[in-house]
Amino acid sequence: MSIIATGISKRFGDFVALDNVSLEVPTGSLTALLGPSGSGKSTLLRVIAGLEAPDTGEIVISGEDATALPPQQRGVGFVFQHYAAFKHMTVRDNVAFGLKIRKRPKAEITDRVDRLLGLVQLQQFGHRYPAQLSGGQRQRMALARALAVEPEVLLLDEPFGALDARVRAELREWLRRLHEEVHVTTVFVTHDQEEAMEVADQIAVMNNGGIEQVGGPRELYEEPASEFVMSFVGPTTRVGETWMRPHDLEILLAPSPDAPEAMIERIVHLGFEVRVELVQADGETLWAQLTSDQCWELELAVGQIVYVRPSAERVFA
Amino acid sequence: MTSLLRRIGLRVIALGYLIVILVAPLALVFYRTFEDGIGPAWDALSTPETVNAFKLTLIITAIAVPLNTIFGIACGLAIVRRRFRGKGVVNALVDLPLALSPVVVGLSLFLLYGLDGWFGWLGDQGIQILFSLPAMVIATIFVSLPFVAREVVPTLREIGDEQEQAARTLGANSRQTFWRITLPAIRWAVIYGVVLTTARCLGEYGAVAVVSGRLQGETETATLRVEERYESFDLAGAYAISIVLALIAVLVLVAMTAIKPKEEAA
Repeated sequence: MSIIATGISKRFGDFVALDNVSLEVPTGSLTALLGPSGSGKSTLLRVIAGLEAPDTGEIVISGEDATALPPQQRGVGFVFQHYAAFKHMTVRDNVAFGLKIRKRPKAEITDRVDRLLGLVQLQQFGHRYPAQLSGGQRQRMALARALAVEPEVLLLDEPFGALDARVRAELREWLRRLHEEVHVTTVFVTHDQEEAMEVADQIAVMNNGGIEQVGGPRELYEEPASEFVMSFVGPTTRVGETWMRPHDLEILLAPSPDAPEAMIERIVHLGFEVRVELVQADGETLWAQLTSDQCWELELAVGQIVYVRPSAERVFA
Repeated sequence: MTSLLRRIGLRVIALGYLIVILVAPLALVFYRTFEDGIGPAWDALSTPETVNAFKLTLIITAIAVPLNTIFGIACGLAIVRRRFRGKGVVNALVDLPLALSPVVVGLSLFLLYGLDGWFGWLGDQGIQILFSLPAMVIATIFVSLPFVAREVVPTLREIGDEQEQAARTLGANSRQTFWRITLPAIRWAVIYGVVLTTARCLGEYGAVAVVSGRLQGETETATLRVEERYESFDLAGAYAISIVLALIAVLVLVAMTAIKPKEEAA
């Protein structure tokens, strides 16, 4: 049930959405396509689903060349950002749609829909219409609908993008558990690095129609292959010519040969985390991330002169 | 006090307008028809010429409405869902019958199918177009063409194509997607378009008047018959036919409302 995309290019008029992109999604994995808007992540997902035809390249799903197959023959489940609920059908009929198209026996459909509604915790809502559900419920219904036909791969296009922060966190957690239960090869698109880090076991970072790096969450954070990846998967600050994580910036009260001088401009308390904004003698600004305990111990104050020492840094060509 | 006046004032204006423009003339026709009881009205309606006129109107409507419905849906889908050269032209052409006077439509058909027209040779083959049913149907189709497409296009734009894409990924082919997803999603637009088209077909006068030849008992539709009766100083007959035409239109509206499924209430 793996997906192998090779040399995919896609243009929309003058805009190059995908430029010779290759990606391998291993069987059973949960892969995130992470990138800013316009990076080509949704287009790649839609090409895998067959909703867009690539200009060049090929898609192999479960060892079978799917490049020329229409979406209905690819064995994929697709979940849209705005749910794409069938508004004129009840929740049950929405979930049963793919099974009815496949002309499965009635008893089997009823049974399967019951189990899926249980899985997405919508048992009591079977006879409602999508308009009577909340956003989170609609998206769970859309997931059940996609899973009903037992797809070989599940594709989700910014599935939680239209939901508010709390529901989003809940559904992330829920998607992770669902994946452990069902174990279908899953690819989801997101522009939220935290979401990608939390849910996926493999992340492909995309930028300008290309893939910058593919790796696990930790690998991307610790060993980013480019400045773009580094700045996209976590906070960064710049000291001279080098980029670093703000939590790798140590603040010293006494001068040290490898620590340039800086003045504290602002201290932002975010609970556990404290953000210290500094300005150097040459006017360059940078910031350091401390725990509130560290900040307390150092007794930092605005206007104070301190010394900053990079403890891990990275130079990109 | 002033707000009360304003509120009532608005209603008075709205209702007054409707009464003067719509209700009063209809009520007057109704009153005149049955002024002398139901007998004279019935006599006027049951002449063979009048019966034939109604039959003709219904036949023309029964041909034009389904054709324009299919065309309107297909045209709407093409305009909204497809990319093709000359789409703007198609979009504008669909509106043309709304802008064109029906008399002009009739005359252009006359030129097209007349003896010297492009299709004049059809007559030599023994296929009678002008002064018979085909020309009247073509004229009616022409004038009632835009209504379904005009209703369907904005609705298709509004629902977007995500539901259709979802259906495709769930295994539906284009035929299944159309019947199970697209058509149910636009059905109210289609139904409303059908009602408007039907009303237009029943009421068509100008274009049909030009191409029909107005042969009594042969190519005379109900609206033409109303005019003919009026000219012949048979006001009771003219009123009676008018009333029946109005009733048919009302019946179509009621029928469409009746088939509205309950789920819409949700």
